[in-house]
Amino acid sequence: MKSEPKITIKVAEVLATILSSRDLIENLKTAVLAADTKSVDLDFSEVEFISRSAAHALLIMKEDLRRRLFNKKEANFINANKNVENMLRMVAANRVLPKKKPDFHAERVDIKSFASLL
Amino acid sequence: MKKVIVPQPKNDSLIAQLAALYKTFKDIPPKENLEFDLSGLNWFCPLLILPLSAYINVTNSKYAKNQNQSYLDTIKFPQGVDSISSFEQQVQLYKTFIPISVLKREKGSERERLESLFVGMVYKIIGGAILGAQNAIYYPLTELITNIFDHSKQNAGFVFGQFYPKKNYLDICIVDCGRGLAGAYKQEKNLIISDESAIKEVMEGNSTKPNNERGYGVRTSKKVVCEGLKGGFVLISGAAALFSSDKNEKLISLKDFYWQGVIIAYRMPKPTGSIDISKYLE
Repeated sequence: MKSEPKITIKVAEVLATILSSRDLIENLKTAVLAADTKSVDLDFSEVEFISRSAAHALLIMKEDLRRRLFNKKEANFINANKNVENMLRMVAANRVLPKKKPDFHAERVDIKSFASLL
Repeated sequence: MKKVIVPQPKNDSLIAQLAALYKTFKDIPPKENLEFDLSGLNWFCPLLILPLSAYINVTNSKYAKNQNQSYLDTIKFPQGVDSISSFEQQVQLYKTFIPISVLKREKGSERERLESLFVGMVYKIIGGAILGAQNAIYYPLTELITNIFDHSKQNAGFVFGQFYPKKNYLDICIVDCGRGLAGAYKQEKNLIISDESAIKEVMEGNSTKPNNERGYGVRTSKKVVCEGLKGGFVLISGAAALFSSDKNEKLISLKDFYWQGVIIAYRMPKPTGSIDISKYLE
């Protein structure tokens, strides 16, 4: 059986070398959906760092692409550096088993009493 | 047009800067057209200068020139830079001064590239070759900047940083003039709460979005800054502020003050030893 050709998308070329924004992951999704193949490699080789929010959006994008009824895609993350790998793994682990969020206890003060400490 | 005298912070602490910002905008109704008098300032800090820049841009307010105008020109106060070419041009001219950067939603990937330049420059100035410093610098910056476009419903965000070589720390400020934290909870969750309670919700990780997997960004960023880097952190929205350091945490009511949107400022001492941020990320 003839294997389908893979398409590689350079993430840094579509977005940037530091991925911060959750909303811009949609641009990457558009590029994947436009690819004329079922399996797309997302090449992180020029990406230095991704934010936690961008990592979360990337994982959701990957799931959404796989779950589509039509134009289903498999997005593979390749050539990610250690920082990017660690962030993706941490967010993926937290999706499966979220850590308990702590309570917040700060002393309440008004600005006058607070600034008078100066 | 009402004139507002911008007071000099009493000292260089974040608390003093917050107090000066409070005095500047106290008794000012939101979005009023103003003329700021900066003549009393002989040095500038991001927590004061960036909200002024954002306010002037959004309201078309004015300011009277200052005796240190050359510094203000260097950082492109008040209009800032909003493109890669103008950012690079400023950095070519002034080397270690980071210009006020205006990130615009509609610029899409170019916005992300401008942010990359800004974040990369912060690291270049303060990061050195310290193991883990890159993550410690990138994590809070990227997380807090993306919140502007995730939560504020505004199309522009303002970022600025200033390194103080003699004091060996860098002050960062991130500003939007959007719906604010309480506004976001009201619109997204139909939750009507005070500005102080909205800050508490954020710090407890209760996202305005329905997804339970969200809501980590601000709290973990604050932990990286305060616990990892031993810095200080200020968050202002509406009539409330949070001040945090590695020693204490105060939720402050700002009587007769209202910032329409969110201001985040933090201080990062130059890292001197290796840092592992993973323990602060939850």
